[in-house]
Amino acid sequence: MHADASRSLLRVFRRAIAAPLVSALIAATCLSANAFAAPPRGGAANIAMIGEPQTLDPMSSTADLVGTIMQHVYELLYTYDANSNVVPMLAETMPTVSSGGLVYTIPLRKGVKFHNGKEMTSADVVASLQRWMEMAPRGKAVAKEIKSLEAKGPNAVVITLNRPYAPLVAHLALSNGFAAIMAKDSIATPLTQFIGTGPYMFKERKPDQYVQLVRFDGYSARTEPASGYGGKREALLDELRFIPVPNANTRVEGTLSGQYHFADVLPVESYSRLEGAPNVKPVLTAPFGFPYLVLNTKQGPLANMSLRQAVQASLNNADMLAAGFGDPKFYSPDANHYARNTPFYSTAGTDNYGKGDAKRAAALVAAAKYDGAPIKILTSQQYDFHYRMALVMAENLKAAGLKVDMQVVDWSTLIERRNNPALWDIYITHSAVLPEPTLTPPQLGDGAPGWWSSPAKDAALAAFNAEADPKKRAALWGNVQAVVFTEVPYIRVGNFNSVTARSAKLDGYVAMPWPFFWNTGLQK
Amino acid sequence: MTRLLSRGMARYLASRLAGMVIVMLLVTALVFVITRLAPGDPAAVMLGEQATAADIAQLRASYGLDKPLPVQFAYWLGELARGNLGQSIFLQRPVTQALLERAEPTFFLTLFSMVIAISIGIPFGIAAAVWRNGVVDQAFSGFAMLGASIPSFWLGLILMQLFAVGLGWFPVAGYGDPGAPLSDRLHHLVLPAIVLGVVNSALILRFSRATMLDVLGEDHIRTARAKGVSERRVVLHHALRNALIPVVTVVGLTFALLIGGAIVTETVFGLPGIGNLVVSAVLRRDYPVIQGALLVIAGLYVLINLLIDLLYLAIDPRVKY
Repeated sequence: MHADASRSLLRVFRRAIAAPLVSALIAATCLSANAFAAPPRGGAANIAMIGEPQTLDPMSSTADLVGTIMQHVYELLYTYDANSNVVPMLAETMPTVSSGGLVYTIPLRKGVKFHNGKEMTSADVVASLQRWMEMAPRGKAVAKEIKSLEAKGPNAVVITLNRPYAPLVAHLALSNGFAAIMAKDSIATPLTQFIGTGPYMFKERKPDQYVQLVRFDGYSARTEPASGYGGKREALLDELRFIPVPNANTRVEGTLSGQYHFADVLPVESYSRLEGAPNVKPVLTAPFGFPYLVLNTKQGPLANMSLRQAVQASLNNADMLAAGFGDPKFYSPDANHYARNTPFYSTAGTDNYGKGDAKRAAALVAAAKYDGAPIKILTSQQYDFHYRMALVMAENLKAAGLKVDMQVVDWSTLIERRNNPALWDIYITHSAVLPEPTLTPPQLGDGAPGWWSSPAKDAALAAFNAEADPKKRAALWGNVQAVVFTEVPYIRVGNFNSVTARSAKLDGYVAMPWPFFWNTGLQK
Repeated sequence: MTRLLSRGMARYLASRLAGMVIVMLLVTALVFVITRLAPGDPAAVMLGEQATAADIAQLRASYGLDKPLPVQFAYWLGELARGNLGQSIFLQRPVTQALLERAEPTFFLTLFSMVIAISIGIPFGIAAAVWRNGVVDQAFSGFAMLGASIPSFWLGLILMQLFAVGLGWFPVAGYGDPGAPLSDRLHHLVLPAIVLGVVNSALILRFSRATMLDVLGEDHIRTARAKGVSERRVVLHHALRNALIPVVTVVGLTFALLIGGAIVTETVFGLPGIGNLVVSAVLRRDYPVIQGALLVIAGLYVLINLLIDLLYLAIDPRVKY
């Protein structure tokens, strides 16, 4: 081979193979360094929240704000991993369930310390669960199913049920209005000390300024790899400051300026601006929640099921979502209540999902012998998307021949008025997507506004709640979903995604519906 | 001095104080009635979406909200008589403590914004009157129109984008990290103070200009000019002092309004002031806070009005009570 030819071959090799290979090696080294580098330790994170928490008692309120903050201080017996599976947290393992499904024995982890230095025992767990069942809205609902709750030695508790109730563990795992495990000595109503086992301890609350949490050095972490809310938790940041910033634009500007390291619930309009900023990463949590319309089944024109079916048929859910959230990036008109890749995915009843069929709706209105009484829609501008969706809904209903009385009130008024069946026919609200169907919306339980009660509901839910086998429960959920589409106690409009933003310096953040900041560090 | 200590003055003060007591009693009753007649329920707000009507009723009872309104009003009056404004439902602390915690940012914000408003309003108003119908007048009057018509939340967001996000000179919002020194806390007030200062300077500017124009047309000014007094002395000594009474009234009322009324600016800049406290309390229906805060704000308003009237004595020798 000639020398020139050799040189030219060498050049080709260098250009075609060696250079990309070296680049790839360098890139791989960098990537792996990044991938395996633990987030740094130390520093304080400023976290901009949508407002001042209603309370710091994690049991007494089901407001997202309260749970989001206090999940760092208090822990549950169980929690959810990244795939919505229930996994143990303060419990050692999943419970042992007796053959009839009535007795749950929950072993507790040993050596777990509270923030006051004392070790967690079954006495703390029993006292905490007792308080939850007596005062928490969710706990009270579960309490109806429970016959007894007792300690079994220092490291186990036994829950005996009145009848098989499969959602029990899901309730114990939810960090919203939650069954927080508290140091028995600190339990009082109202709570004055916030003594939990979480990776962060409560330090100070200055209303409208901050809730300050600091690292708990005596934290007893699980050893499993972190996944969702489950697994190993490590307080890398010295301090968390949850700052109430009610103005959404201020949250956006504060994140862009670097003052906030994380901002919760941002307007979808800000997404492109956040995307273009070098120091900020927008975070899309999909799906985050679902807007839904509650229909008054107790009193007024919609007590007539045919008319409720007419309302359902008249609505163009896709249009309502578009009005509420703008870009399809931020919503999806899903008829099924649970996504395809989740255990409760079902298409049962979804043919009735509203596509704006005014003709069919008008026929149902005629069949219902509608007397022309206006449909009172209760909505609020506190959440922009509620109001915008209500405007579309009103037009859909009018197209079907229904009269509409739109009542726009502030949120406090809405949540008071909805308890009076004489004052409304439809109200608009929303919920986070939760892993267990019976956790939300509350209309699946008893006594919630809308007052849905029917033999079909009772039969479908009783079968679903009694079944412990996850595979069989998926099919049984389909029956419940079908009854919802038939009896129309509420209309799930679709799913929406939430926009939050984090500083590019915030490492290790994992997007979940209720943001958490353990395993998260701040680059210097 | 003798005017301040005269028997007439004592009578005047006694009648004003009696009037204040009557006004405060009326305010107490009105605030209670309006607050309670408005729909909404603190228990429902506190418990959240999943709470049932029974949960809400139970919490209402624990705060005594299930009792008849006259009973609740009598209880509140009794507490007031003991100097107790009540206990916040949401903040789990006495209303007095909540108000005291908010006093610092509100006081400094009001003070700084008034300094800015007066520094702009009075000199610009005088200049506009002295060079009336000229370029200076047009420019300053235009500024006043602009200041009065710009929404404070918009100006706040623009200043935020320019000076906080763009240049990084000031923080976007809040009142400092935990344990922040006073200098850091005051640094957080610069942008909101500019917003309030500019917006409120418009009214002071318009008033200063109008009263200066009136005074500059009076006989004693013509006499002073005829006697050969310099124009500077005519304006600053003879005219300004006479023009000050209406301006002091406007400045005083603006000050009083800002103490409880910087609501939009405090919300945009996330300042934990009294305005913000009132807004949050109204949204959550935290009745004791709404009642207590409005009572204190009304009291301050009445007090500042009295101080303005007393200030007239110092400014204008012709005023007698």
